[in-house]
Amino acid sequence: MITFSSVSKRYANGYEALKGISFTIENGEIVVVTGHSGAGKSTLLRLAAGIEFASTGNVLVNNQNLAQLKETGISVLRQNLGLVFQDHKLLFDRNVFGNAALPLEIAGFTRIEIGKRVRAALDKVGLLHREKAGLVSLSGGEQQRLCIARAIVNRPSILIADEPTGNLDQAYAATILDLFRSFNQVGVTVLLSTHDGSGLEHLKCRQVELEHGVIVR
Amino acid sequence: MNATLNAHMQALARALGRMRTQPLATCLSIAVIAIAILLPLGLYVLFDNVINAASHLNTEPNVNVYLKLATSDQEAKDVEKKLRAHSNSAQVTFVSREAALADMRKRANLSDLLADIDTNPLPHAFSIKPLSFEMSILEAMRKEVLSIPKVETVTMDFEWAKQLTRFARFVEHLVILLGGLLGAAVLFVVGNTIRLQMLTQKDEIVVARLIGAPRRFVLRPFLYFGALQGALAGLLAVAATLGIGLWVGGEVNAFVASYGGNFFTQGPSFEQSLSVITVAGIMGWLGALISVSMYWRQIETSR
Repeated sequence: MITFSSVSKRYANGYEALKGISFTIENGEIVVVTGHSGAGKSTLLRLAAGIEFASTGNVLVNNQNLAQLKETGISVLRQNLGLVFQDHKLLFDRNVFGNAALPLEIAGFTRIEIGKRVRAALDKVGLLHREKAGLVSLSGGEQQRLCIARAIVNRPSILIADEPTGNLDQAYAATILDLFRSFNQVGVTVLLSTHDGSGLEHLKCRQVELEHGVIVR
Repeated sequence: MNATLNAHMQALARALGRMRTQPLATCLSIAVIAIAILLPLGLYVLFDNVINAASHLNTEPNVNVYLKLATSDQEAKDVEKKLRAHSNSAQVTFVSREAALADMRKRANLSDLLADIDTNPLPHAFSIKPLSFEMSILEAMRKEVLSIPKVETVTMDFEWAKQLTRFARFVEHLVILLGGLLGAAVLFVVGNTIRLQMLTQKDEIVVARLIGAPRRFVLRPFLYFGALQGALAGLLAVAATLGIGLWVGGEVNAFVASYGGNFFTQGPSFEQSLSVITVAGIMGWLGALISVSMYWRQIETSR
């Protein structure tokens, strides 16, 4: 469960990205945050992931107030979240397998367990046949799927994805959204953001629309 | 416990992996650090050998009194009486010119030379063990002994030992100074290598931190990398010192043997070698720690 309680976020330059946001995402729910560029979607997701912290108000993830967690606590929290970044944040000096394996290396899994879990995750996103491929040979869609594989490899209870369909054509975007729906169907809580509301109809999700840092719908 | 051990093993494996992926840069860094360690280590080993050689020599302090060649046995006895009566004489030993020649004949390489000499060129002599070694008293003693009739020269054979001790102290200070300076060099070399490593691996560090890597997960491989670099450089320096010791030592040993000596040069002992490798490893770790502490904030703020 993720709870935003009167959350505001003001940056050092004075720009207020979020203004008094309050809403809750229940366990097993799938929520899509929509809104134009600069609406505050990414900031909201970064607050939920503990990458940034609210200026005022509280963000609770699985009943833990992120503002009260120490550095180690934040690390543990993030290890239990699946994070998909807008710019993928993949490592080009690692191959597909190496990228997907990173969260498991951080969590201290053995090589055998890493091998099993990574292949299972790559299989889920349809990249198992490319496990040894270098990143430069992957298309944008494949890179996005690899990013999702890395997010789910640790079997998280919450998936947070910032613009996962951002640079993809509609058909491919639908495939990616289907992937998130399949994870949600097995009980994973999903929080997505997108600037493009199209294609969300069949996702059967709750939508939260932001405009200038305020929930408008 | 297993998880901690596993985490350390993974960090070590990642550090070794980084070395494997940049073999040339790693080897060059290790070579530079090894040279930095080799200088004070080599000087220390040289100093150790000089001290060892000095301990093989007779350093018992004596005042040696040589009489004029024409001195008769009776005159020598008169001188002996005066020497025994001197206030700073603890023990006086008479070395007759015949005994001195016989002793010289026994020495290697000199018997052939002395065989062609008809007359004994050596004077009667006395060896005095003084009571006090204070320089002022010894200087006064030298003057007084020189004033005794039939005395030709007086030497104090421990002066060189004092000079050697002074030199040894100088070398000791030099080793400490060089060790300190080059220890700092090790810190800088390792620190710079780690800084470059951190910059080239910035993306991985940023991504790892974003997906929940604790600080220790990111930092440990760098610390292991620094410690490994230091330890390997220490090992290389010890090996080079042993190699140089074998190469130069053979010549030195042959030279000493030609003068009838039985002194053999020695390289660093096992304990010394282990200490060098350990200290170099610790210096490497410390250099890495300083470097990662300095650049950590820079990378953290770039997330």
